[in-house]
Amino acid sequence: MVLNTLIPLLLVTPIAYSAAPAAHAAATFAVLFTLFGTFGSSIPLIRDGESGLLGRLGVAGVSPGGFLLQRVAATATLDLCQLAPSAAVIALGRGASSSDLLALAASATLGLFAANLLGAFTAAVARSVAEGALFAAVSALLLLHLSGTFRPSVPGTWQATVEGWMPFRPLHQSLLALAAPSSSSGAHSHLLPPVVAIFGILAFTGMVGRALMQPGLRR
Amino acid sequence: MFEVAGLSYTYSSGRAGLANVSLQAGPGERVVIMGPNGSGKSTLLRLVSTELPAPRGTLRLFESGWDSTSRRLASRRLRGRLGVVQDQAVHFDELTGMENGLFFAELYGVGEPEAEPRLAALFSNFGLEAVRDVEVGEYSYGMRKKLLLAEALVHDPELLILDEPTLGLDPPSQAAFLEILEDRSACGTCSLIATNEPGLARRVATNVVFLSKGEVVAQGAPEELLEGFGGKTTIEVSVTGHTADTIAVEGATVMAQQGRIVAESEMGTEILPDLTIAILATGLEILRIDVREPDLADLFTTLTGLHIADSRADSSVRGEDG
Repeated sequence: MVLNTLIPLLLVTPIAYSAAPAAHAAATFAVLFTLFGTFGSSIPLIRDGESGLLGRLGVAGVSPGGFLLQRVAATATLDLCQLAPSAAVIALGRGASSSDLLALAASATLGLFAANLLGAFTAAVARSVAEGALFAAVSALLLLHLSGTFRPSVPGTWQATVEGWMPFRPLHQSLLALAAPSSSSGAHSHLLPPVVAIFGILAFTGMVGRALMQPGLRR
Repeated sequence: MFEVAGLSYTYSSGRAGLANVSLQAGPGERVVIMGPNGSGKSTLLRLVSTELPAPRGTLRLFESGWDSTSRRLASRRLRGRLGVVQDQAVHFDELTGMENGLFFAELYGVGEPEAEPRLAALFSNFGLEAVRDVEVGEYSYGMRKKLLLAEALVHDPELLILDEPTLGLDPPSQAAFLEILEDRSACGTCSLIATNEPGLARRVATNVVFLSKGEVVAQGAPEELLEGFGGKTTIEVSVTGHTADTIAVEGATVMAQQGRIVAESEMGTEILPDLTIAILATGLEILRIDVREPDLADLFTTLTGLHIADSRADSSVRGEDG
């Protein structure tokens, strides 16, 4: 727990107190927050599956959907606690307002839940830890790209429409607002479309999640 | 209690796991499955425990309960009537033995006030009292296996499904396990056990099923199977030195080796007086005599040509190991 709190600070602190452009700093923070969630969810799930622990829980009658939802909620909460000091360092380093920090709290909750859900999804389709790490990284980075994390947003384009639905969009927007408190580029996005997208990922995870607890289903 | 009829299962690789297996057992019965690695023992147990998805054929659990043809997921309530010991003794390593026990008891619907004394008694039976509050990460394999047994028994299941239950247990724990198994059977608990220990099978089984390459080769009460088999008794005599003389005993095949003489006979120990006289006549001194009666493993070898503990019999891909 302490190590997981300190490691992100090693990356966040020098960037927050540097002259790095806000867009670059926000993109780095968004990648860190997202991968923290996807890897933290995916790899332990795959390991528990490989050890037979999830199979045992399945045989004991634990519902795969309920189990995954509880586990994702728990790991997302832990991630939020472990990343809170990093968020505070960014806010202090960039002189952000308390309202920006509050917006980050809401969007980070949503983003970390989505990241952990994505981790559970990739764990269910991966056949090894290495595969899980690859799937988690590729899917998270793709969704971050589609969220407009790595390029400027152009209103009125189809890309801008897609961005609005991406689950990591609010997180990136809040981090941008935190990294560039004086600019207007970090306008907060609407939460409803990303929440709908998260329900979509939830449905997909529910469908494939049974395979984690019933290894015989991976056929 | 459970019934399987024409049960077949094919692995994702296309290899047949089980082919047209039929067997059944009622309350209090103990069915022992024997067969070499890859024969389908674990697959059969995983199907009956509802871990694997619905196969071809029928699997019916409990009289008015689940049936594989319905394609319904086995409910938590139904799984709560099963006590399963899988081949992997896996637990939450960061929790203590007692915490693990309480966790699984809770999953099976037994609350802490009821589960704690039951677990304490089971820990006592298996010699785990001293480590009940130690993290399972520090347990040896045998201790993990005993904890697994305690967790499978804590909720008084109606059907016990046990994969190699005595593997890794020390003799006192084996004895405790057998006592518990017999007590539970007397109360109506049905057991389905996979083991390759002929002694254990003969002691506990009301019905033995021989599996080879996914098919049932023979099944019946152990005494009936052995009675029909006949088989040869092996007498091994440890002696001083070696003789070049031929030792001939009527009704037996005798082989002389350095330091020992081995005789095989279908006449059991009847040949023993003649054998000892013949050995002493060569001038050798007898140090020790060991007699081994034919057992279920010998019967299996006679029926299939395979040795029951022969791991070369088939592929044993992880997760598909029979």
